[in-house]
This record gives sequence, structure tokens and C-alpha cells, in this order.
Amino acid sequence: MGMKIDMEAAEVAANLVVAQGRSRWGGTGLTMEVQHHAGGRFKRPYIRIDCPRQHWLAVAKWLRFDAGVDHCSMITGIHWPEGPDERRWEVVIHLMRMNVIDPPERGNWVEQVVRDASILQEEDVPLEFEVSICLPDTRTPSVPSVQQVWVGADWNEKETWDLVGIDFDGHVGMRRVLLPHDSPVGYHPLQKQHKLRYHDFEEMYDDAQGFQRKPVDAGKIK
Amino acid sequence: MTGAPDQNYNVFSSQALVDVVGDITDEALKASRMKQFIGVLGGRLMNWGQRKSLFPLHLGIKCCALEMAAAGGSRFDAERFGVFFRSTPRQCDVLIVNGPISKKFADPLVRLWEQMPEPKWCIAMGECAISGGPYYQSYNILEGVETIIPVDVYIPGCPPRPEALIDGFAKLRQKIMRIGTKPSTDRAGDAPIIVGDD
Amino acid sequence: MAEMWISMGPQHPMTHGLWTLRVKVDGETVIDTEPDLGYIHRAVEKIAELRDFTKFTTYCDRLCYASANTWSHAYIYAVENLLEVEVPERAEYIRLVAVEIQRIASHLMWLGAYCPDVGNLTAFVWCLREREMMLDLLQELGGSRLHYNFPRVGGVKRDLPIGFAQRCRTKINLFLNRIQEYEALLDESTVFLVRTQGVGYAKPEEMVNHGVTGPNVRAGGINYDVRWAHPYSVYDEVDWEPSVEKPSIKGADCYDRYRVRVEEMQQSGRMVLDALDKMPGGADTHHQHGDEAILAKAPLRAPEGTSGFHHFEDSRGESMFYIVGGGEQRGKFPYRNSIRSPMFITIPYASKCMIGYKVADIPAIMGSFDPCIGETDR
Repeated sequence: MGMKIDMEAAEVAANLVVAQGRSRWGGTGLTMEVQHHAGGRFKRPYIRIDCPRQHWLAVAKWLRFDAGVDHCSMITGIHWPEGPDERRWEVVIHLMRMNVIDPPERGNWVEQVVRDASILQEEDVPLEFEVSICLPDTRTPSVPSVQQVWVGADWNEKETWDLVGIDFDGHVGMRRVLLPHDSPVGYHPLQKQHKLRYHDFEEMYDDAQGFQRKPVDAGKIK
Repeated sequence: MTGAPDQNYNVFSSQALVDVVGDITDEALKASRMKQFIGVLGGRLMNWGQRKSLFPLHLGIKCCALEMAAAGGSRFDAERFGVFFRSTPRQCDVLIVNGPISKKFADPLVRLWEQMPEPKWCIAMGECAISGGPYYQSYNILEGVETIIPVDVYIPGCPPRPEALIDGFAKLRQKIMRIGTKPSTDRAGDAPIIVGDD
Repeated sequence: MAEMWISMGPQHPMTHGLWTLRVKVDGETVIDTEPDLGYIHRAVEKIAELRDFTKFTTYCDRLCYASANTWSHAYIYAVENLLEVEVPERAEYIRLVAVEIQRIASHLMWLGAYCPDVGNLTAFVWCLREREMMLDLLQELGGSRLHYNFPRVGGVKRDLPIGFAQRCRTKINLFLNRIQEYEALLDESTVFLVRTQGVGYAKPEEMVNHGVTGPNVRAGGINYDVRWAHPYSVYDEVDWEPSVEKPSIKGADCYDRYRVRVEEMQQSGRMVLDALDKMPGGADTHHQHGDEAILAKAPLRAPEGTSGFHHFEDSRGESMFYIVGGGEQRGKFPYRNSIRSPMFITIPYASKCMIGYKVADIPAIMGSFDPCIGETDR
């Protein structure tokens, strides 16, 4: 029979992490709570953290080294031009605690780690995390980079900057990854003022971002 | 090698003698209509060789590339029609465009097309190559590969079945029989061949 | 020796997709790499903001085209988390059958593309032959050979066709027998073993920190799988085990990653046979299109302020969709649809894995991580 994590054990483990988090970060403006997925067979618990921008790097380090979160799944950005004032840009980070360890060495061979899911308890239970960082209205949104904490955040941050325009302080090697390298500086298509398609770059430049120059390949086949 | 080759030849193998013999043979062949006969026969032989051994390029852009690979597999087996995939554009004569062309890939694709020696043909396979497909409104996708290179056969489908690709090769062979070695730059205004349109 | 940058450019027979890998070589040894993606960036995330939830499933098929069903199911599970929909049990079983047959087909495509890279052309034709069998099954279920648009919000498009269970059992059993032929061809071939053993070592902790998941991590000796760790669907009711390999001290090499995928194909086959036996209502009953046994009623709009996400075990790792509701047309479209592609994160890691090996090892290492550029570039 296929195995699965016991849902009560997952609840207990999630509440444990939230309790630790609240005792560590209580009073700093960070809120942490256990929420549940709304659909599907098992309404799995996950931990939702609303983190203020200035604490994010410290919270990331706490998550990695104290809560055991070893996998950064996705970092994404959302542009809310009509949102409330304190939430014009949002960075959402999804993390997972996988408890993956290197298989232990026994002399000159390694022993496989084969876990039985139904008996995992407390710190051994895999968990899902969702961290949300809201930014106020600004033309240069930026968030501290967690490239040093999880290397998997590296390319996620590049993609978020490339498509949404949110910068990451301290990120080494920021560059365009999905758009062509000669895209106009400041063109981040997932921002809401951009249409899906412009028929040429001149039309794109008539919009709210107020560019003055044309790209070098204007007039060429696009 | 020192000295020009001419100086080492005696008068019976000089360049002038070769030219004179060549001109006399040419006139003789023209007078007896043999030259025209050999020309037509040679042209037909070349045309037969070209259309029966189309070498496409190993270019897999998106999903239609899997159907192109399946066409080379054992159930559909395009190789029995002489179709053999080559990795370098210098040795190919067909470019099968099997996916959407983004702005970043437009330049490399034109470069690949220009690296292929004449005579060459292009097959636009799948909706994305014909018109941009489901991504035609996207900011990064060209509306069809015909905006940058001339296309000979269009194979609609998303993705087209491997049988449709093999049918596309058959239609391309018929077209090659018709147009011979018309260079690709002169073909821009020709009526398109669309697989499934008959 | 001369150091130079070589560009394994967008058109290359061994890169399995349209991307550039720039390698810096010192003679024959690789000393640095730099991947360059984005050649088929189709702006799918921006298109999602203008499409209904049901209509976007067709785009999700085309994200990773070798493994279309896993992506459309990953999307639909995230939409069901957003719209708070519960799926009938028979539909979950049918989805499991579709996803696992697709996983077998995806691994077969990987093996068929990987073996010519390491020099074995026979496996290409064999794998494509087996894959045609799986595509026949998927064509019966979904209607097309490559892009099925199979799941719907709340269930599946249609029930198992009449006689499908018997055909499926025959084909899966035939396939499970044929895996012995693959093992005889590849596991006992000196050329294959020399090219795949001892190259591309990778350790699980480092991989997970880099964001790599799925069969690549299971090849490292630990049995983490999203299907039991964050359970969804009916994986706890069918008979299966995550396939783990036993690596060496230095980590998992290409041979371990190959073995783990062959084992995964066997486990998927086992899951499909078991799911057909355990299907509620029996595998031979056929409900009509839209019947409530296979499709639950689902709301069309996601109000503002809602969001849903779902981690899914894709053939290549852990994929995720994060969907924020409240978009245009009073919530009929999503406000933001964010896609996590495992390969987008694995390709830079695989490029780092190549450093220190020879140029001839590049296709072996890159292919063993199973790149699929459709999902990378979105």
C-alpha cells in the first residue's frame, strides 16, 4: 500500500513550528499561522507567514537553520497597482521542509534513507510554507535576497526581477533569464500597465512608464 | 610548389588545348541535340535525387519536435522515404520549424536558414510555426515563421500527427518536381501548400 | 592549454530542447558553464491573466510537452485549492491512471533521447515503440496523442472508454515484461556503463538546497516524494513505493539517475494496474460525459483575496502552481498565475555539476537530469 503522512501529525508539526516562530518573532510585526488548503481530499495544513520587508533575511535564516526548511520552491512577485497602500507590490515565497539528508556513510558504502511516512512525527514531518512580503507604492521595489540561504532562490529571483521588476538587494549576478538580453531596460512585462502584446516597441513606449528612447533594433523584424 | 603549373606542361597538355577541345565538344553536342538531352536527363536525375533524399535539420523547438521524433520512430518510419536527420545545417536541405519562434530565436533561426546551402526548402509544422499558435498574442512570439523565412509547406495541427508530417514530405516532393531548383529567394510569392487542403 | 568559451548553441542535437549552454573549456576539461534560456519564452503567465480557468488547461499541457498530463493536473489541483472544490473519488482514480501512464511515457521519451547521447541508438527505437503503446492508451483517454486537456475543475473530461481497462492491462503487462529487454541491453553494455558511471556526482542535501527535487534526489539515496510527503489524490490507496537508488559515497551519478527512472516506470505501471482494480464503480463501467461521479460542480469565479497553490510530483521534480484570484471579469480570470518549473532550477545546477569533467561527459550529465525546455521557458 502506498504510504502517506498522517494528517494529525502534520497538524501537530505545523502548530509546533508556529509556536516556535511566535515565541521567537512575536512583536516584530510578523504574523504566522496554520492555514489549510481548501480543496482536495486532505485539507493539508501549511504555514502562512506575513513578513515585513526588513526582517526577511533574518526570518529566512531562522527558517533554514532552526525550523529545518531546506528547499526554496518558488519566489514570485505580484504587482497590485490598485491595491491598498501598503500592498502595491507583493513577493510571495514558497518553501518546503523536506528533511532530506545525505545518506549516512558506513565505511566505503552508503546506507539508503528509506522513511516510513506513517510514523513520522514532529520535526520529521515535511511541511509547506508560504511567506508573503508586502511592499508599499514605489518605483523601485526591492526585497533582501536570500541567495546565500538557499541556492535555489538564485534563479527564482532572477526570473522575478526579469518578469515583474522587483529587485533583490545583495543578489550577485542579476540578469535577464527569460526575456531576450537586449530587452529595453525597465521593461518588465508582468506589471499590470503593460498589455499582452504591443505591435511594435513604439506602442509600448507610449505608456505610463514614460520612456524617451527607442531600442537599437527598432524597425527590424521582431 | 615553385613555378606556375603551366610551365611544367608541354604544349599537348596546356590550358589552351584543354579549352579548345572543350569548345569543340560543346559545339558538337549542341549540334546533335545531345547537350539538351543530357541536360534534361541530368536535371531530372538531380531532381529525383534531391526529392527522394530530403535531409532535415535536427532542430527541435517545442512539442511538434516530439511528433517529428516519433515520425522517425519505428511505427511511422520516415526514413523509408529517404528522410534522414542531420545535425549540421550545412548538410541539410529541409528546415522543419516545429515550434513558436520567439524574438530571441529569430536571429539564430535566420542564421541557420542562411547556413543551409541552396536548394533548400522550409516546412512550417504546427500551429505555432504557421501563425504563432495559441501564443499569437504573446509579447515574445512572432506571428508565424513566414515573417522571417520563406515557407514551402504548412502542416496544420497542434501537434500534427506523424502521418501528417510524412504527408507534408510527400507534398514537398511533388512541389520539388514542379519547381526544380528555383532558389528560395524567388519563391516568396508562390501559392502555399497546406497539408490537408485537398 | 587554451581556455575558451564554446557555445553549445540553441540548435544542438544533444541539448534536448532549445537552450544554449556556454562552456568554458581548458583543453578537454570543463571549467565553467553558463546556461542561457528563454528561446521559447511564450509569456504563458501573462496569457493566464486573460483566460478562464478551464481554458488555461490547454496551455498547461504545452508547458512540458513530453509530460503533458502531469502539468495540466498540477494546474487543476491548484485551481481546486483556489476555488475550494472537492473531486469525486472515481475521478481521482482516473486522474491517477492518466498521470502515471503519462509518467511512463515521459520517462520513455527521456530514455529514448538519452541513450543516443551516450552512444546507444537501439534504445531510441525501442523506447519510441513502447511510448507509442502508452500514447495509444492516452489517446483513448484524452483524445489526442500529445496534448489531452484531460482534467476539468472538479473532475475529468470523460470516463474510461469501454474496454479500456482490458487494453490497458495488456499493454502495461507487456511493457513491464519488456523492461527486462532494456536492462539486458543497457545494464550489461560496457559502453553505457563506462559513460554513465562515475560522472556527474550529486549529493541530495546539496541538490535540495539548490532546488532540485524528484527522481534526481531519489537517485541520491533518500526516498522523498511529494506524493507521500504532501499527499494529494489517491496515492495512499494504491500499491506503490518511491523508487530509491543506492548511490556511492560521492553521490548519485548518471547511472543512478537512469536506474531510478527505470524503477519509477515499473512503479507507475504497478500503480496503474492497481488503480484499475480498485476503481470505485469498477473499471468497466462508463459514466456519461459530465456525470457527477466523474465531475463535481465547481464555481467559475475566484473572488478577490483568495489564492491557492499546490505542490505536485511531476516526472522531473516538484512543480507548483500559485494562483491568485480576483482578476478581470469579476474573478473569472486569475490575477496572477505563477508557475514553478523544476527544470528551470535544475538546469543551472546540472550545469554546475559538469565542472571538472570532460567535454564528452557533457551530454551524459545534462541528459541524465532530464531537461525539458518547454516548462523552463514557460
